Amino acid sequence: MKISDCMKKKVISSKPDTTVLEAARLLIKYHIGSLPVVNEDCQLVGLVRIRDFMTLVLPDFVKLMENLDFVHDFGAVEDDIPDAELLNSPIKEIMREPISVDESAGLNRAIALLQDHKMNDLPVVDGSNHLVGIASYVDIGVALMSNWQLQ
Amino acid sequence: MWPIIISSTIFIISLVLIFSEKLNRTITAMIGAVCMVVFGMLFHFYGEDQAAATIDFNTLGLLLGMMIIVSLLEPTGFFQFLAVKVGKVSGGDPAKLLVLLGAITTLVSMFLDNVTTVVLIAPVTILICEILGLNSQPYLMAEALLSNTGGVATLVGDPPNILIGSATGFTFLDFLTHSLPIVIFVWFTALAILFFLFRKELAQKPSDLEALTELNAKDALKDSRSAKKVIVVIFVMIVLFLLEEFLEIRPALIALGGCAVALVWTRPAIQETLKRVQWDVLIFFGALFIMIGGMQAAGVFDALVNLAVHLKSLPTVVLGLILLWVVAILSMIVDNVPITIALIPVIHGLGAAGIPVSALWWALVFGAGFGGNGTIIGSTANIVVSSLSEKTRNPITPMLWSKRGLPVMIGTTLVSSLLYVLFFSFLSR
Repeated sequence: MKISDCMKKKVISSKPDTTVLEAARLLIKYHIGSLPVVNEDCQLVGLVRIRDFMTLVLPDFVKLMENLDFVHDFGAVEDDIPDAELLNSPIKEIMREPISVDESAGLNRAIALLQDHKMNDLPVVDGSNHLVGIASYVDIGVALMSNWQLQ
Repeated sequence: MWPIIISSTIFIISLVLIFSEKLNRTITAMIGAVCMVVFGMLFHFYGEDQAAATIDFNTLGLLLGMMIIVSLLEPTGFFQFLAVKVGKVSGGDPAKLLVLLGAITTLVSMFLDNVTTVVLIAPVTILICEILGLNSQPYLMAEALLSNTGGVATLVGDPPNILIGSATGFTFLDFLTHSLPIVIFVWFTALAILFFLFRKELAQKPSDLEALTELNAKDALKDSRSAKKVIVVIFVMIVLFLLEEFLEIRPALIALGGCAVALVWTRPAIQETLKRVQWDVLIFFGALFIMIGGMQAAGVFDALVNLAVHLKSLPTVVLGLILLWVVAILSMIVDNVPITIALIPVIHGLGAAGIPVSALWWALVFGAGFGGNGTIIGSTANIVVSSLSEKTRNPITPMLWSKRGLPVMIGTTLVSSLLYVLFFSFLSR
């Protein structure tokens, strides 16, 4: 099976100039965790993940400490929200280099990429880097497992 | 004359490179050491065997031993445990929090490497401040400034002390009798200055006290069994340090012996433990010894001593004060380790020329120790807290340091000068 057989073909994406807040609203509206960023020609130029949004609100100490088991109440930082300047900045400032696969890629390669880069969704592109679909870990995993049988 | 010019040029270029931060200090020192040996061989003033003999293995052994001990204690969560504990004891009162965090960091760093102590306690400090809704700047700066100050009190508290102890034979006990009493005064001076400079921030009311009581110190201590074992070993080591003269052993043996026992007792994954040792610091020291050895072989220090001998007519107390301030000001901008290593042969030379130098060594201890507080790059602890704070909403900037750290450095150096004069006859013994 190829990645194009299990991917979702309708992809919610955004433009590089979309603001952080607008992008966040898209994630909320469609209840999704990854947002591919495409240019005017629909070519994939970036990816933002819900993780990237979360680092905007997580307290500073979370990045600095390995063990947080002893912190039972986050107190004053529990209800922090990003400031207006950050929410108004374009998404291209927080997006990362996209990891993607060609539509002809196999499922094992796709799942290995997700594992390697600690991602949940994998954008799929055609030969000229146009975004043609997106496959989640669950989409690919389920497709892979459907071949399983007792021999 | 050429050897003197060449060797000093190599050393000065290295210092400038370290100061400019264009090149990492360990890499700079290694290149400097290699140049020193190569040019020494070309101009016949220095050689390979001489270079190898300049490395002070007492200093390196003591540093390595203490580093391994710390790297055993690091993953147990002991440092985090201490910080959480004192945070809870403070009850969220900003003034109490500052004193307690500053005091615990000082106390630990008097016996263990203060960079590691600050690296591990500072993130918990940021955590406590954030959940309380406080600005973390005063607490982080207090930890760096107070632990730098406190480290002056003991033989193992600060690398310059280890160097001076090894060069002079000053024991752990000598530091407790000569340095500790002065450091206690200076420490409280630093605390008082911090209270005054940060009075606005310390008047801030914490917004969520309940979160502090919800912190669980015991959960922070991930491996209490290993922590207990290592702490027992540290206590035994301190007792042995005190008995050093009576037992006729060097501190390096005690430190390496202590870490050998701790390793057998805790059986850690040794490669992980050794990875946490600051090898770059050890190589930096080794390379500096080789560089300074080259200058000594070239006759740089003899020439300096010949110049300094003219100061013989000055009362020794004035000479001491000049040394203290010159070293303090130099330590603000350059690493205090190369300064200390370079001044050791000079002071030895002055001693050989008949100047009473006992008190000069203490001037070097105080100058190198308190001077580093003056700038954001003056000590590694300063660099650590400011770079950690860069990732937070209240970053510590060089500007802030010059407004809050520099007054502390000036105040503490003044008070230590005063005490130096008052206790001069005792320090001369």
